Amino acid sequence: MIARDRNWLLIFAVCAALAVVYPFIADGYQLTVIRDALIFGLFAASLDFFWGRTGILCFGHAAFFGIGGYIMALVTLNDAIPLGSLLGILGAIAGAAFVAAIIGYFLFFGGIRGSYFTIVTLAMGVICQQAAVSWSSVTGGDSGLIGIPPIAFDLGEIHVDLSQDLPSYIFVASIVAVVVLVLWSLSRGRWGTVLTAIQDNEVRAAALGHNAPLRLLVTFVLSAAIAGLAGALYVCMAGLVAPDLSGLLLSTEVIVWVAVGGRGTLLGPVLGAIAIQRAQQTISSFNPSLWPLLLGCVFVVIVFVLPDGILSIYARLKSLFKGRRQAQ
Amino acid sequence: MSDVLLQAENVGIRFGGLQALEGLNLTVRDRELCCIIGPNGAGKSTFLNLLTGTLRPTSGSVRFLGHDIAGLPLHRIARLGIARKFQIPSVFPSLSVEDNLKVARWGTSSPVRPVGELLDLVALGSRAATLAGELAHGQKQWLEIGMALAIEPRLLLLDEPTAGMTPQETLATAQMLLRLKGEFSIVAVEHDIRFVRALNCETLVLHQGRRLRSGPFHDIEADEMVRDVYLGRR
Repeated sequence: MIARDRNWLLIFAVCAALAVVYPFIADGYQLTVIRDALIFGLFAASLDFFWGRTGILCFGHAAFFGIGGYIMALVTLNDAIPLGSLLGILGAIAGAAFVAAIIGYFLFFGGIRGSYFTIVTLAMGVICQQAAVSWSSVTGGDSGLIGIPPIAFDLGEIHVDLSQDLPSYIFVASIVAVVVLVLWSLSRGRWGTVLTAIQDNEVRAAALGHNAPLRLLVTFVLSAAIAGLAGALYVCMAGLVAPDLSGLLLSTEVIVWVAVGGRGTLLGPVLGAIAIQRAQQTISSFNPSLWPLLLGCVFVVIVFVLPDGILSIYARLKSLFKGRRQAQ
Repeated sequence: MSDVLLQAENVGIRFGGLQALEGLNLTVRDRELCCIIGPNGAGKSTFLNLLTGTLRPTSGSVRFLGHDIAGLPLHRIARLGIARKFQIPSVFPSLSVEDNLKVARWGTSSPVRPVGELLDLVALGSRAATLAGELAHGQKQWLEIGMALAIEPRLLLLDEPTAGMTPQETLATAQMLLRLKGEFSIVAVEHDIRFVRALNCETLVLHQGRRLRSGPFHDIEADEMVRDVYLGRR
């Protein structure tokens, strides 16, 4: 195992340990705050899996988050559908993946890459938000849909009920941990290596027999599916869904979370999302209008000082101490 | 005729008002080694692009194992058994040398040569863990040849494989290809006459998009017209 992987696993283990300890030291409110931040972290990891591995920026990723959220809301609010929560989650994943597959097919096989891809996905996000506002008979329009029940379902003998803070925290934290680990395994294995190759030189990869558009499409669909899952979890925890969840602002925020956390690290974006969410709540409690200004400043500072994100601090410190030891 | 791998018949291509290539024929048999030479602007790389299906000819046809390959996606052409080395070293700079070769092997469903053997073949055994972007120019060229070998091609097309190499590296590359001769067909488009002389194989000479001469290299080298337009007698 190479040093980079060892470092990643070490940081993951520390984060997992903190996540286990946190319920013992936090009250119910703090637990729900971190739970919701973890969901946004899952969303950030989904974007990072695509952006970090392919180098192609999706500027409308919130569309998939919103699609997942709306499908979850519509399924769980319909009493006639049995196993509502479970079907809602599956539907959210499938719905987001389906939309990504349709859009991605035309983009990737049409040779759309780089900034063109970014602009098209930006438009996709705007269209999704407008659809959520305009299609009010289904989506509830500007007000969205409220009264979405917490996740509850039976799996054989096991009854899952996430109406309480602690079970919902454990459920969300477990899903985030599993998804991040799976994405990391994919990233460092054959799939991720070929994606890095495609990012480096797509024509060369194709000339070696790799179907680059198909690989990019599958990665995009998987990324969208996870964003859909995050959206489904979020609306159940928040109890409502609104057009903002598929909007441009959230699409921008998730890019900031990934950039601050460290693109291509998967764990960094989760930590970035949690850190920024926590900072937003703390600073907004003093002065709500101060937050956007501070967020902009933090983003600029991070880009200049830590271009590889906050997760790179560990590697930087390690190399600094190593350098000093060698100098002595 | 059954051992014919690649056949280009009366191939031509026009870009707008420019007739870049006209009336070219080339037959590559199984396990044959041949070279395409010519001065700058003769149309060598364009011809190679036609042979790999990257460009579609405006006249004539290019068939690989009897199939028209013009316009096929690159990955399908590779899976048919055509490997290509590009003119500008085309590797994956952020991956290690070893990972470059692994990615190449994964491109084929039935890789035969292990990575270690490929590393030895292209003399990069000691640089396996080095990032490909940090290799010297000549080593990048060798790595790319190694990547092309990894997909177990039936036909290896090399576009100026020694461009930018030192004379020693050029000779080493020629020896590398001579060692591979007989395993699969090789077509090398080259500019460096020392390299072609070292290979000493069937050679097609292009000049201004047309065939000037073709035949064994020693005949080509002695040909008055070839010497006039290419080998620099005057």
